Amino acid sequence: MNKSKIDPRTKLLLILILSTLAIIYKQLLFLSLIFIISVLIALLMRSNLKSIVIKLKRLLGAIFAIALIQSFFIKAGTPIVKIGNLSLLTDFGIYKSIEFILRLGIIISSCSILTTSTSREIVQALVQLHIPYEIAFMVSIAIRFLPVFKDEMTDMIIAIQLRGIDLKKVKIKNKIRIYRYIFLPIVTNSLIKAKELSVAMEMRGFRAYPHRTSYNILLMSGLDYLIVSMSLVSVAMLIILI
Amino acid sequence: MCSIIVKNLSFKYKNSDEKILNNINLQIDKGQVVAIIGKSGSGKSTLCNCLCGLIPRVYEGEYSGEVFINGVNINNMDLSEIVTNIGIIFQNPSTQLFSPTIEDELAFGPENLCVDRDEIGKRIDKILKTINMEDYRYDNPNYLSGGQQQLISIASVLMMEPKIIVCDEIMSWVDEEGKKIIKELLLSLKKEGKAIIIVDHDMENIKLADKIICL
Amino acid sequence: MEKYIELNNITYEYKNGIKVFEDFSLKINCEEFAFISGKNGSGKTTLTKLIMGILKPQKGNIHIFSKDIKNLSLGQIGQEIGYVFQFPERQLFTTSVIEELTFPLLFKGEDKKNVLRKAEELLDTFELEKLRNSYPHLLSYGEKRRLAIAAVLMNEPKYLILDEPTASLDDSRIVILSRTLDVLRSRNIGILVISHNKNFIGKHAQRIIILEGGRIIRDEQI
Repeated sequence: MNKSKIDPRTKLLLILILSTLAIIYKQLLFLSLIFIISVLIALLMRSNLKSIVIKLKRLLGAIFAIALIQSFFIKAGTPIVKIGNLSLLTDFGIYKSIEFILRLGIIISSCSILTTSTSREIVQALVQLHIPYEIAFMVSIAIRFLPVFKDEMTDMIIAIQLRGIDLKKVKIKNKIRIYRYIFLPIVTNSLIKAKELSVAMEMRGFRAYPHRTSYNILLMSGLDYLIVSMSLVSVAMLIILI
Repeated sequence: MCSIIVKNLSFKYKNSDEKILNNINLQIDKGQVVAIIGKSGSGKSTLCNCLCGLIPRVYEGEYSGEVFINGVNINNMDLSEIVTNIGIIFQNPSTQLFSPTIEDELAFGPENLCVDRDEIGKRIDKILKTINMEDYRYDNPNYLSGGQQQLISIASVLMMEPKIIVCDEIMSWVDEEGKKIIKELLLSLKKEGKAIIIVDHDMENIKLADKIICL
Repeated sequence: MEKYIELNNITYEYKNGIKVFEDFSLKINCEEFAFISGKNGSGKTTLTKLIMGILKPQKGNIHIFSKDIKNLSLGQIGQEIGYVFQFPERQLFTTSVIEELTFPLLFKGEDKKNVLRKAEELLDTFELEKLRNSYPHLLSYGEKRRLAIAAVLMNEPKYLILDEPTASLDDSRIVILSRTLDVLRSRNIGILVISHNKNFIGKHAQRIIILEGGRIIRDEQI
């Protein structure tokens, strides 16, 4: 059964609000506040925040690197780390990198709210919001096959190492050649799968008519209207007060 | 009454030098189970694709001859007419199942045909009872065994209530237990009066056939 | 040197906590043809992945040819044991059959003449001569499998693991696969095969192991 009885359209609105606030506001205090609210909402809805964070652990290094590199290029503000006359790190630079990390955190935690709805429910939400079914459906197919591609890529990387090519010892200039070897079968397999899938869908009447019915229809409940109105009121208050 | 009549069917794929089907003539009656056997490359899948109209709709090539489904030439049928007359299940379950729950998967076909919601609900209840998978209604098809996945593939096709079912090597990736439950389902469909075409190379799998065609 | 694969007191569980093996031990003679059978979920593929070092057990150790695999890289394990996936398309990387056989060794800088000679010999042995310039992903399942087997044999491993090699093959193709196994036997390469095909097992097995729920419920020498 559905993990959460909240309408996916309500969730989409929440994500939209949180992400927009994250982009509009620059002050670290407000961004931290929005971040905390975003995480709280995600946890309240029992979204898979924990597993997403675990998956992101690997990217954590890259995230911090981007943040740091960004700050190297910012010359404004009081320098904190200097080499001779060249300022490497300024306080404004650190400020900007924290801003970047907070914004990323808000977007990730708010998007995790979507994990509490199935792809079919999200497609239905988009359809009921008057987005063409085909587009919404394409997105849901992509979601469905993402883990499959991940598995295939993992298997391929293992297979190529078993053949004697130790990826860790490969020089950078040769790394590109290696990725070409992996890229090719992934693309080929995807095309083959896509063909098989489209044939199966065709034989189940996909696009037989310009319209289609939906077995499960989304209905906004009292709780949804409450959340929507509370969110809109909070946003309005935020904009007025700040 | 003949469910399928094939007259002088020949086909050559676009990039091929040779014809893969050469002047095929056959007739399949209502309630008959026909097995099509032959070595790899003999045209079994091509014939299946011709029977359900995928050739020439989706696959290009030189096509001649005629295929009649329940008396109507398949080239004169819309997609909606085709899928309510004949359904096809393929070898690989993972590219036939793409919805997050079994209920969604089963609803996909009739939704495309603009069947109303109550009717879809009734059909889902009936089908799940037939294949004895009522408990799995809200489960993710990805986590089922190969045999169960193929059952859902067959069920998804049956949701459109076709009178003819084509099975293109559907037991290739299924283990012994799965094969057993699929064969039981096919047998019960045969009893219901559906025409079934089974393509397979394992003689064990085609024991329920009334007629065998060799390509 | 001992030609054995030994799994000693292996405990392995998935990330979500489901235990596949608990205190599991098995000794496999690498000169034999052994077959593993069992229902889906009994742990067959997981077992082969543990042997290849693709998955790492939480407890216990695994030795291949007297070496602890903890100290070996995937590449080194691949030199000792060749592994053919159930879905051969996950281990084919190039645009032609001949390149598929030669690219890893050429990449590592081995002598071109030698590599080509080995490849030609394997193409001939596995009846892939006529397909030398074909695109690997467009071959039939049987041909892809033979190609995958030939490709791992380029490393001259002493043992081979095959996951469901007969799936989706018709009888005439299974006969060709049988010939492949005979070739391996003639080269003294032992194999471990995961299979459900009773005829195939009956024809080639010297040892049959049946797994259920992560335990061996039958282990027979033929």
